[in-house]
Amino acid sequence: MRPFGRMLTSLLRTPIAHGVAVAVALMATPLAGGGKLLGQEPAPAAAEKPVDYITPHITDSYELEVPWFNSHFAKEVCLGHHEPSGHCAPLWGPVNIAGKEVNLSPTKHVVFMLLSALVAIVILVGSAIAQRRQQQRAGHTKGFAGGIEAMVLYLRNEVVLPNVGPHGEHYVPFGLTLFFFILFMNLFGLIPYGATATGNIAVTATLALITLVVVEVSGIITQKAGYLGTIFYWNNDLPMFMRPIMFVVMTPVELISKLSKPFALAIRLFANMTAGHIVVLALIGLIFAFKSIASGAPLLMAVAIMALELFVALLQAYIFTLLSSVFIGLLREGGH
Amino acid sequence: MRSLLTTAFSAALAALSATPLLAQEGEKVDLLSPNAGVMFWTLIIFVVLLFVLSRFAFKPLTAAVEAREKHLEEMIQSAKADRDEAARLLAEQQKALDASRAEAQRVVAESRITAEKLRNDMMEQTKQQQRELLDRARGEIDNERKRAITDLRREAVDLALAGASKLVERNLDDQTNRNLVESFLASAPVGGNGRGQR
Repeated sequence: MRPFGRMLTSLLRTPIAHGVAVAVALMATPLAGGGKLLGQEPAPAAAEKPVDYITPHITDSYELEVPWFNSHFAKEVCLGHHEPSGHCAPLWGPVNIAGKEVNLSPTKHVVFMLLSALVAIVILVGSAIAQRRQQQRAGHTKGFAGGIEAMVLYLRNEVVLPNVGPHGEHYVPFGLTLFFFILFMNLFGLIPYGATATGNIAVTATLALITLVVVEVSGIITQKAGYLGTIFYWNNDLPMFMRPIMFVVMTPVELISKLSKPFALAIRLFANMTAGHIVVLALIGLIFAFKSIASGAPLLMAVAIMALELFVALLQAYIFTLLSSVFIGLLREGGH
Repeated sequence: MRSLLTTAFSAALAALSATPLLAQEGEKVDLLSPNAGVMFWTLIIFVVLLFVLSRFAFKPLTAAVEAREKHLEEMIQSAKADRDEAARLLAEQQKALDASRAEAQRVVAESRITAEKLRNDMMEQTKQQQRELLDRARGEIDNERKRAITDLRREAVDLALAGASKLVERNLDDQTNRNLVESFLASAPVGGNGRGQR
C-alpha cells in the first residue's frame, strides 16, 4: 500500500499529473474520426480539439448513459427535455423555495441515488424476509441473508452501539441506513454506465447535514440544558475574571469544531469518490494514449486502482458511519 | 490513503482548472458548489430509505437475531437447570443407597446379636435343664441310697438281731450286749465305699 501510494503520489506530483488530463484529451485526437470511446459527445469543433472524458464522468448532468447496441455501446437518455439546439434541459423549471431558485429536476445522480436506495431496500428487506424463513425452518440464517445479517450485526454491535454510548439502540437504524445507502451509491459508480452519487458534493453535504442534525438533536435530548454548554464555553473551574475572556475566545472555536465535523465528513466522502474515479479514468485514458505495448502498464494500474476503489467504496461507507456514531457518542457522553 | 486520494483530487482539480479548453460545452466545471435540487432529493430519498429500512429490514433482522439469542440463552439455562436437577437426583440416589446400605448393615448386625443372644439363651436353658436333670438324678440317687441305707440298716439290725438272738440264745437277754451291738451298728460305716451317713 505504502510504496504503491508513494508511487502514485510521485506520479501525480510530476509534470505528468498536470498533463494527465491533457494526455487523456489527446487520445481523442486519433479517435475523433472513427468513433466515440466512452459514448461522450464528440468534439463538435475540429478533430484536433481535445475531448474531456473525465469531467463529464464525474460531474452531474441531466443525461443518463444506458447500454445500447451501437458503435460505442451507449446511448444518452435525456432526463429532461431536448431543446431545439439538441442540448438537454432540465425537466422542470426552477421553483422558488425561501427566496432561492431551486431546480428540482431529476439528474443522473438523483437517478443513481434512487437506484441505490431501491437496491438497498431489495437486498436488505429480502434478506430480512429470507432470514425469518430460514430461522423458522432451520433455526439459523445461512447464505446471502446470513452474510447481510452478519454485516448488520457487526455494524450494530461493533460500530454504532459502542460509539454512541449506552442506550444507543435508537441510533442503530440511522447508522445502518447511512452505511448501506453510501455503500450502494459508491458501488454503483464502479459498474459500467454507473455514476457515483457520492462523488457529488450536494449528496455528501446533505448526508453530512443530516448527520449534523442527528448529532445535535441527540445532544439536546441527552444533555437537556447542558447542551448549551457545548456551544457557549463557560468553565466554572477558571478564575472569575478569566471566564468571560475564555467565553469570547472559545465559543467560536466550539462552533467551528461543531461545524467542521460534518464538513470533514462531506468533503472526505466526496473527495475520495471523485479522486478515485479521476485516477481510474486517467489510467484508462493513458491506455489509449500510449497506443503501444506500454499500454499494459496503465492497464494493470487501472485494474489495481479499480480493486482499490472497491475497497475504498466499502471503507468510506464504514468511515462515514463510524464517525457519525462517534460524533453522536461524543455529544451524548457530555451529559453523563 | 486519504492523503493520497486528496493529492490526486487536488492534482486533478489543478489539472482541470489549468486546462480551461477542456470545458467542452462552455460550462464551468464547478465540483464544489452543491446543487440544491440534488440536496433536496438526497434528503427525501435518505429519509424514505431510513424509514423503509428500519421498519422492514433492520427491525425484523435484529428482532430475529435477538429472538435467536434469547432462545439460545433459554436453552443454556434449561440445560443448566437439567444438569443441576440431575446432580441433585444423583446425590439423592447416593444418599438413599448409603442409607439402605447402612440399614442392611444394621439389620445384619442386629440379627447377629439376636442370634448370639438366642444361642446363649438356648445354651443357658440347656445347661439349666441339664443341671436340673442332674440334680434330680442326684436327688433320686440320694433318696435311693437313703432308702437302701435304711433298708440295709433294718436288714442289718435284723441280721444283727438274728445274730444277737443266736448270741442271746447263749447270753439270754443280756441287755448290755444288745446295747453294745446297737451302738456298734450306729457307729459302723455303711458299705465299703468309705462314705459316711449324713
